[in-house]
Amino acid sequence: MPSQPPLPPLLTPYLSSHPDSSLTLVTSILGATSNWLILRFLHSSLASLWAPNPSFGLDESNNGTKKKVVLISFLRGWHFWRTEAKRLGLDLARLADKKQFAFIDGLSDLFNTAQGSRSPANPTPARPGIPQRTTLPVRGPPGAVPARGPPTAQIPSAGAPEGTTDKGVAQTLSFSGRGVAALDALENEILAVIAQLKISAEDGEEILLVIDQPDFLLAATGPSMDIGATEMAEWITGLQQNVHATVITLAADSPLIHNASTSGIQGSTPIEGEHAAFAIGLAHRARSVMQLRTLETGAATDVSGVLRISRGGGWSSGPEDNLDEKELLYYIQRDGGVRVFGRGES
Amino acid sequence: MVAVNLSHRRTHNLLLISKLLSLRDTTSPLTLLVDSLEQPATPLIQEYIRRANLSKVHVTLVAFETLKCPEGCDAFISTRRKSPADIVKEASRAYQPASTGPPKRRLILIDAINPLLTSRRVDSSFSLPAFFGALSTPSTSAKLETSLVVAYHHDVPGSAPSNLYAPSQFSMLTYLATTMITLHSFSHILAQKAARDRSLAAPVFGLEEEQEGVLLGRLDKLSGTGAAEGIVLELEHRRRSGRGVLEWYLLPPASRYSARQVKEVVTLLDDNVLYNPPVEADDADEEPTSTFDLGLTERQRRDREGVVLPYFDAQNGDGPGEGGRILYDMGEEDDFDEEEDEI
Amino acid sequence: MSFRKRNIGVSTGIDRNAAPTAVAQAALPESNPGVRPSPDDGRPTTSTGCPSLDGLLAGHAGLPMGKILLIEENGTTEFAGQLLRYYAAEGVVQEQKIHVVGMPEQWGRSLPGLIGTADILEGKRSDKRKDERMKIAWRYERLGEFGAGIAGSRDAPPQTGDSDGAQKPQQAFCHAFDLTKRFTHPSITNMTFIPLTPSKESPYASILKRLQSAIQSSSPSTIHRIVIPSLLNPGLYPPDASRPEYVLQFLHSLKALMTTHSSRVTAMLTLPLTLFPRSSGLVRWIELLCDGVIELCPFPHSADALATSGAATSEEEPPQGMLKTHRLPVLHERGGGNDQNIGQDWAFNLSRRRFEIKPFSLPPAEGDKEAQEASVPSGMPKKADLEF
Repeated sequence: MPSQPPLPPLLTPYLSSHPDSSLTLVTSILGATSNWLILRFLHSSLASLWAPNPSFGLDESNNGTKKKVVLISFLRGWHFWRTEAKRLGLDLARLADKKQFAFIDGLSDLFNTAQGSRSPANPTPARPGIPQRTTLPVRGPPGAVPARGPPTAQIPSAGAPEGTTDKGVAQTLSFSGRGVAALDALENEILAVIAQLKISAEDGEEILLVIDQPDFLLAATGPSMDIGATEMAEWITGLQQNVHATVITLAADSPLIHNASTSGIQGSTPIEGEHAAFAIGLAHRARSVMQLRTLETGAATDVSGVLRISRGGGWSSGPEDNLDEKELLYYIQRDGGVRVFGRGES
Repeated sequence: MVAVNLSHRRTHNLLLISKLLSLRDTTSPLTLLVDSLEQPATPLIQEYIRRANLSKVHVTLVAFETLKCPEGCDAFISTRRKSPADIVKEASRAYQPASTGPPKRRLILIDAINPLLTSRRVDSSFSLPAFFGALSTPSTSAKLETSLVVAYHHDVPGSAPSNLYAPSQFSMLTYLATTMITLHSFSHILAQKAARDRSLAAPVFGLEEEQEGVLLGRLDKLSGTGAAEGIVLELEHRRRSGRGVLEWYLLPPASRYSARQVKEVVTLLDDNVLYNPPVEADDADEEPTSTFDLGLTERQRRDREGVVLPYFDAQNGDGPGEGGRILYDMGEEDDFDEEEDEI
Repeated sequence: MSFRKRNIGVSTGIDRNAAPTAVAQAALPESNPGVRPSPDDGRPTTSTGCPSLDGLLAGHAGLPMGKILLIEENGTTEFAGQLLRYYAAEGVVQEQKIHVVGMPEQWGRSLPGLIGTADILEGKRSDKRKDERMKIAWRYERLGEFGAGIAGSRDAPPQTGDSDGAQKPQQAFCHAFDLTKRFTHPSITNMTFIPLTPSKESPYASILKRLQSAIQSSSPSTIHRIVIPSLLNPGLYPPDASRPEYVLQFLHSLKALMTTHSSRVTAMLTLPLTLFPRSSGLVRWIELLCDGVIELCPFPHSADALATSGAATSEEEPPQGMLKTHRLPVLHERGGGNDQNIGQDWAFNLSRRRFEIKPFSLPPAEGDKEAQEASVPSGMPKKADLEF
């Protein structure tokens, strides 16, 4: 199979155009995850900086606007994103050094109350340097770890694969307390990172905020901790106000959406009701909604899933915003390349 | 008769929607827009703003979802982390007309009421009627007529009521509203009508499909519907007299008319060619043409009726073996051969 | 006439990946028993103790380190529990540290007894098969092994090196166990049992703390296995345990722990679907937090008649249930899709000596002996295997 360009041509217009204060929603399900699409978003925003001469006409689609990206991930660690981006030819660690990219880790320490030593209010923003080894508690014996790790063939960076390498991680989120106050604390930590990137931003440089599965935060706290769909949506609004455009991934699995939205709030658990309200509410605000799902007819060997791109409730029907709605098939190859094609094509 | 009725209905109801959308005569102090992901209310809200600008009505947008002030809005109120009382206070501060002069008109738009209804910040003492009342009564002595247009996302599940005996939030809203507009996508209405015409089950779209991973089913090119753009408005208006009006309208997409157009753009759904294709008047007594004459003459018909069918005869019960014969009176045209035929 | 020859033949299929594998092998110190690089991309993997489950895991031929595997089971049977026992026993044999959550120490005594490396079983089987099929051309013979021996065929790289065949027991990746025997092994003391302690706060807090300290304080070369049998089972867990803010936060922290020590921890948990159905939002979140999700649907006992008629040949045991893969480690994290095993219907069978997963196919009509035999290896061969 021939190797694919990092950005499938059919998707390029959707990945690169982000009007001001727009929200792009990416939904995934258990068998069709969204990580590959997020990586393409990162690539389309950062690649022109990384590789000055992309061979397939990225420059025009980027319209010359440079972008900085802040990625907040709640379900996957820095190691994963860095390794997978490397397969696309994107060195996130180096981009972080150049302050084009910032990773905010919502996995390692989010609910790790057992470790306890961390103070919730971390004075990180005061520290301009990105490699902030010192602000994080040492979790393991760092020196000894690299002695044996996974084979180096796939992990090209010099750092050890274990999470003890925090190089490139701008901030590690930690949830404490309850309700809006806890969300505010998280928001401040994120805004500090955004502010840091803004300081170094040149004229016309825009910040794209990518939040990977904030719905987990809602699921793992929920109404019993005084956090509901409205509070989460307001939290998102607060972040949106500080960046140029936002991309959010959510789970749209049937039990999480349909249990509540069709049978009503009675007969569904709070976790389902709040999730449905949050996800559907965000879809009402989104300019475009990219929905990933598996084939209805069962799995196939040359199709990984279906991608449906629809206009969300926030799409404004002006002449300046022409967003075509489409349904495409995609296939993820062993080497990480993605082929995107219409139904009936190959 | 039917045509007269329709034309009467057309004049009446088009005037009504025109009044409602242009906020003339404060026909409706509280309008509820019920939308879903399949047909968001955004285009209708833009239409409200457009008309308000034409007639110089002051527009305030109370934003629960919108991030930045859209074009044509005079005041923009962000509601993030604000209590309902704060929102009311800010809204009344946003427009302070001079206390003299002719009565002013004002439009307050709420882009989505759902977040307020499910917010945990709102305590149990919050009452929706009081909130709407406070928004629409002016704080100053100036003559001000306020219209409130509230969007509600029907597909976003609400939170469980704290008081199980209280009415649900949606029924409360529909009860309070003087006008309720439910939005549908035109292409979906067409698809559903096409199915209905064939006595098939109407198709469902988006969330109602209950397909895993699908939030939105709206695709531009629905098969068979062509370029069916536009929004279908299902209007329910309660007159002051107590009488209700129910009508379906079609609002064309904003690109079809100029932003300054004063003439009414909304049409009745029944007048649409795609929805109600014109029926060609066809002759009722048309028969298939053929060289073979399928008709009967009067005499032939009478003779046919005279035939006693075997089962009638069988019911006479003349004993076993009897009955069931074909009773036929020979006519002159029958060519009866004694040797071959038998009766 | 040994199984070794076959393995060499099959290993040609892996040659495309030879380069990363070779590097990977070099980087992996010999001192890590039970860990080997994945033939797919070279990441370290460890065995689940069940060769055919290893073979199901998206071409990695084992559970990749740092990943959580969730086995769900419908009904009240204990198939998933047996898989966990294999997993734990394999860990003990490989001298890894085992952490068992919520179970008393008796659980450790119920592990199946060791009878050798997994190749012993595979070897016997393939010998038998070879005798039967002498007349079949060799290029087709490989196809016959496809369904049954996915795992076996993948473990070629470590063995091609020592050609004289005598495999050292400590280098074996996967072992065979006998359910009727008691497990005795000098390293059985490597198992620790973490009890659930009643608490006002999250019932998982103490578990997490113990896991974290155990993994942090151990030497960096120690491999850990976390075994969580029957998560949320009300017989073991307090009623509060199923609150999303407790169980989801715990799994998230577990995931964080695995990511932090991504090259030396694996975890496997089971969940009773009868009590927590897949159609509920909570279970879906649990699944979303795990890297691999496998569902077991045992056949009801009344289906025995059907099952026996479905026994393809005299030496094939009837399937005892269906197995569905909903998510596979690494593969789905990348987007899913390109695995040849996806979309297959799988059946499983638990016998005295093995837990076997094979492609499920409805048996041909009774008495059609020839067709029945042909239907046994129903794994679809890749095109590459048909070509020279």
